[in-house]
Amino acid sequence: MTGPATDHATTRRGFLKLAAAGTAAATLSRPNPAGAEGKTITILHESSFIKPFDEYVTNTLAPAYEKATGIKVNYEVTSVGSLPTRISTIAETGSGADISMNGLLQVIQFSNKYLDVDDIASDVGKAQGGWYDAGKEAVVVDGKWKAIPFANIGQLMNWRTDWFAEVGVKKFPETWDELYEVGKKLKAKDHPFGFELGHGFGDNHGWLYPLLWSYGGAEVAADGKTVTIDSDETARAVDFCRKFFKDTMLDDALGWTDVSNNKAWMAEQISCTNNAESILWFAKREFPDIGKVTDQAMNPAGPKGRFHLLNDISHSIFNFSPVKEEARAFMRWLMDPKQLGGWYAVADSYYQPLLHGYDNAPMWKVEPRNLPYRDALANAHLPGWPAPASRQMAESVAKYVVVDMFAKACSGTSTKDVIKDAAAQLKDIYRSA
Amino acid sequence: MTIATERLPVVAQATRRRASLSALLDRQDVFSWLMMALPLAFLAALVGYPFFYGILLSLEDRPVAHAGTFVGLRNFVADAHDPVFWQVAANTFIYTGAATLLKMVGGLGLALAMNQHFRMKNLVRAVLLLPFIVPTVLSTVAWLWMLDPAFSVVNRLMVALGWPRPGPSWLGNPTLAMVSIIVINTWRGLPFYGISLLAGLQAVPADLYEAASIDGAGGWARFRFITLPMLRPIILIVTLFSVIFTFADFQLVYVLTHGGPANATQLFATYAFDIAMNGGQLGLGASVALAMLPALALLIVLLTVYLRRE
Repeated sequence: MTGPATDHATTRRGFLKLAAAGTAAATLSRPNPAGAEGKTITILHESSFIKPFDEYVTNTLAPAYEKATGIKVNYEVTSVGSLPTRISTIAETGSGADISMNGLLQVIQFSNKYLDVDDIASDVGKAQGGWYDAGKEAVVVDGKWKAIPFANIGQLMNWRTDWFAEVGVKKFPETWDELYEVGKKLKAKDHPFGFELGHGFGDNHGWLYPLLWSYGGAEVAADGKTVTIDSDETARAVDFCRKFFKDTMLDDALGWTDVSNNKAWMAEQISCTNNAESILWFAKREFPDIGKVTDQAMNPAGPKGRFHLLNDISHSIFNFSPVKEEARAFMRWLMDPKQLGGWYAVADSYYQPLLHGYDNAPMWKVEPRNLPYRDALANAHLPGWPAPASRQMAESVAKYVVVDMFAKACSGTSTKDVIKDAAAQLKDIYRSA
Repeated sequence: MTIATERLPVVAQATRRRASLSALLDRQDVFSWLMMALPLAFLAALVGYPFFYGILLSLEDRPVAHAGTFVGLRNFVADAHDPVFWQVAANTFIYTGAATLLKMVGGLGLALAMNQHFRMKNLVRAVLLLPFIVPTVLSTVAWLWMLDPAFSVVNRLMVALGWPRPGPSWLGNPTLAMVSIIVINTWRGLPFYGISLLAGLQAVPADLYEAASIDGAGGWARFRFITLPMLRPIILIVTLFSVIFTFADFQLVYVLTHGGPANATQLFATYAFDIAMNGGQLGLGASVALAMLPALALLIVLLTVYLRRE
């Protein structure tokens, strides 16, 4: 090094070059954790309905991590519904964030831009009681963990205990048929049900896929190729949905998006809906009187059992991130019970852990009415179940094929026709599988 | 002297160069190209590039975050087989046709009314622009509340007048949902028509009306034979703009119904967005978006030819 250095340093340009090279070499060879200083990890998250959840990262987790390692954690929040667009942009351009939250079917869509995280997932699982099967369903692609499951945001039944009591019902009905009978009586008393049948992004799929499964129907077979929607089981589910809508619900539910049922709940327009825990959470804080008479239950069972929609969120590391190893280290730190437990706890149990280690965590004691959300994990699946997650499944969800099949039946189209349309659309979609 | 003789050619050369440069700039074709270069570069980068990239995408099977494979026109063939695509096409034409017609007639009425003399005319004119100025997403959220049966002023009024509770479901009924988005689009676009046509009205020379009145023309005849022909060029331009914006409308539907119920209000732009962004099929989504192009181009050509011939 010294020989050529003296030669080069004789000219001004040579000196500058040498100085730059020297600085670069010094930076590169500095050992960790000192080398980590000044680095930033950007983590993209969808804005949470539970405000303290996002605040916990910016006010507690990020400063703690920076203090411990010198690495700055930039928590970027994107509005609800815009996550797919944001991840698409980042994945396509190869820049913008190092870690991203995934919703429903995003892991499969972006898996080839994500690092394998088998090591982290398996260590976290071993240390904290093992993963729920539901946790693996959305993140394991071709045998590799492409994301670390974080939690499920369950979609369950929310019901008004006072109005149900008016028609003599103290316990939430066990089956769809029993619920239908109660709904008929409640609609007659001007307390209709309201289940989203429009083009929102969650509350519609949240009950319509489980309804379909509980009658034995499914959009595609386990092979992920054979479209199976055209069946007697689907027809029975559609017939049930039509009369359930007509005899128990508000007409408006056909055009609802995700905010609508929350709004209707707080306006005391409806006596039963299907939503995440946020309804109870919000009612308790803003409308305590409504909060007192709000209870939650698992989805009713159909002839073929009881089902729930898996609405899990997980975290992935982009394989083009310039701070891959730092991001891995951060994810290990984040999934440590000390951090993870605190983060879960600030949201009561809006985010249901996918690790058995939390099955009896104190967070479940805060609000016992949330317990069905934990138990629902046992039979929660992705929309295209029993097929594994696929890009075709994401397309079917984005095109609202199953939602619209039910919605069209509710607005008067015959069962035969709505199933025929859905089958044609699904065959087109799954042809490429 | 020697020094001067040495310098002279240099100065002359520089002067000549300057002269030739200013002569060059004086040439209209050179100067206009120079002035257009920047906007053209902007257009090429911000419109041209995405447009041609969109065409390329539409010819590929291109799942998001994966490399594309060229498939020719297969995406367009898939669109042609998709019943929802045709429903979307019909929706878009109905939406654009009805909203544009309402805006044209309403805007003309508005302009004629605004052209009268009355107190606080300027204030009223300014206020009328509000729907156009307020960001679409904001005003649409306000409409979302107004169309909610529980909170709607319209429903309250109807129920008070004896309509059975809770009144019509504006966004839940497929037909009413389409009517609702047409009405809101009209509400938003009316001021644009109104103000543009008002500007046109004010440019009509008053002596034409005077002459016509002397010749015995009534109000309708003056409108039919003076106002309307004088306004024709402006109507053409405003309608062109309106058709383009309405045809490609996105925000209103995305916020209000997201295409529901069961695709009753799904338009090209929202359907393309769902397929490309939520479904992750960039190629197929681009093909739906591009399917707007020939229809839109044809519509504009027909409109131009029709209005020019008149």
